[in-house]
Amino acid sequence: ASEASEAQTTDSDDIVTPVSLKCPKADSEKMCVEVISLAFNPEAEVMGDETVRQVYVEYKFCDVPLSETETPVSLRKPRAGEEIHFHFSKVIHLDPLTHAARRQFLRDALSGRGPEQGRLKFTVVSDPLDDEKKECQEVGYAFLELRQVMESGEDLVEQELEIVSPAERAPIGRLKVGVRAAAALRAVCAETQPRAEG
Amino acid sequence: MGEPEEVMPGSGAVFTFGKTQFAENIPSKFWFRNDIPTFLSCGDEHTAVVTGNNKLYMFGSNNWGQLGLGSKSTVSKPTCVKALKPEKVKFAACGRNHTLVSTEGGKVYAAGGNNEGQLGLGDTEERSTFHLISFFTSQRKIKQLSAGSNTSAALTEDGELFMWGDNSEGQIGLENITNVCVPQQVTVGKPISWISCGYYHSAFVTTEGQLYTFGEPECGKLGLPNQLLVNHRMPQPVPGIPGKVVQVACGGGHTVVLTEKAVYTFGLGQFGQLGLGTFLFETSVPKAIEHIKDQKINFIACGENHTALITDMGLMYTFGDGRHGKLGLGLENSTNQFIPTLCSNFLRFIVQLVSCGGCHTLVFATPRLGGTKEMELKE
Ligand SMILES: [Mg+2]
Ligand SMILES: [Mg+2]
Repeated sequence: ASEASEAQTTDSDDIVTPVSLKCPKADSEKMCVEVISLAFNPEAEVMGDETVRQVYVEYKFCDVPLSETETPVSLRKPRAGEEIHFHFSKVIHLDPLTHAARRQFLRDALSGRGPEQGRLKFTVVSDPLDDEKKECQEVGYAFLELRQVMESGEDLVEQELEIVSPAERAPIGRLKVGVRAAAALRAVCAETQPRAEG
Repeated sequence: MGEPEEVMPGSGAVFTFGKTQFAENIPSKFWFRNDIPTFLSCGDEHTAVVTGNNKLYMFGSNNWGQLGLGSKSTVSKPTCVKALKPEKVKFAACGRNHTLVSTEGGKVYAAGGNNEGQLGLGDTEERSTFHLISFFTSQRKIKQLSAGSNTSAALTEDGELFMWGDNSEGQIGLENITNVCVPQQVTVGKPISWISCGYYHSAFVTTEGQLYTFGEPECGKLGLPNQLLVNHRMPQPVPGIPGKVVQVACGGGHTVVLTEKAVYTFGLGQFGQLGLGTFLFETSVPKAIEHIKDQKINFIACGENHTALITDMGLMYTFGDGRHGKLGLGLENSTNQFIPTLCSNFLRFIVQLVSCGGCHTLVFATPRLGGTKEMELKE
């Protein structure tokens, strides 16, 4: 057998696995954001608000269409002590050539600039039922410090964030998120250094 | 699925999703030279494939020796269990950390973790190679095997059910004992036609089409009203399922039931594994999945927190925990699915077999000949 076909066989020699032609993307050229789950504090106002029946979570990332950064489903409002699970995971591509704007967005965030002072803002939204003639309503925000991710140098597999009410910024619950971005943030930072010195 | 398809043989391929250990956990596929898969089983983190030539291939996690390959190292490629080559392997069942295998000749072998006697060898010592369970002889023809979290089951063609291993929750149906290291008959006085071991609960179907459940009573996964839960250590008939039950599949906290007409689910659905929508995350009352009521379902499978259905057309629907891409709906963007969701990857295939594990799913599918265009239009 030729070397090429050899490479495609296991030691069992009777298994064939097609060789993928796609080059895996470097970790520094993508990041992954996961909206894992949320719970409301039992005493939070939203728990007693009967107009809030189901909720979804969204965040904004540079030019990524909002339709891709909101959970595809709304879930029933969690009961006291209950957690609802989205497990909504999205890879955001950060190729330097095609997504320079996103890398700049991250650089700004890491230096505390931008609309949210370096934080990734998650919004919990009340989604009216189909038969209700109401608008979606923001019920809370949760903020993730991107700089923390970079400084720790570790991906956040699961991070619990406080959800605060839009007006008083009082705590109303907890949002669990995951952010796998350490390699990308490092790379983005490295790109900054020469400019800063120059 | 794109480019290397033209090289896939007409006999199809095994597709891998989630944390399989194969192909670095990226959705992938493989096939056999001059052989085809006839049976798949996913455990918590390991996988067995039985082929038409009666060979057994194993891969995945191996901390307990559950691959039966004589070592405890993780195996990332399907590897033939050469020690079983003289035997004609027919079925395999992967539990959380052990594996059962049956042969054409009626023998049953076991390997892996054995802390509750789930290998059926009379002791609680783990084995990293397949050992013969002497209880089973050629006098009994094995129809089905099942394995849960430290539990094992073998069902015979005659409708006799034998179970062994962990009984801490009554999940092998014995009243006053915490575990047994040799097979014991479990009977309700009627022949049994299907068995499924979940993580900590179990269920079987009689040839008459009645569903029985037993084991851990929490979260509605036995489908029984509260007043019956006191007897959870004994198999009890599940009320409220109209029609004849033909199959049952038990996951970590949920149970899926196939009748001649519909699919019913109960138990925990916090990740969508019940397929009952975004408002019901737990039920002890069996509920029909409305979303697929126009489809004829031929086969059901449960992983710990996810579910797969195969239709009579060979299409596959999945739902439940979407992490790691185990629902076969994409890896870069994934989410929990709360209703049965068509795997469009397989529109051009006929799904023949599926098995769901802890964080992975295996599918055997063959190319769909003819009618391809029509199926693609649906996409
Ligand atoms: Mg939406
Ligand atoms: Mg299983």
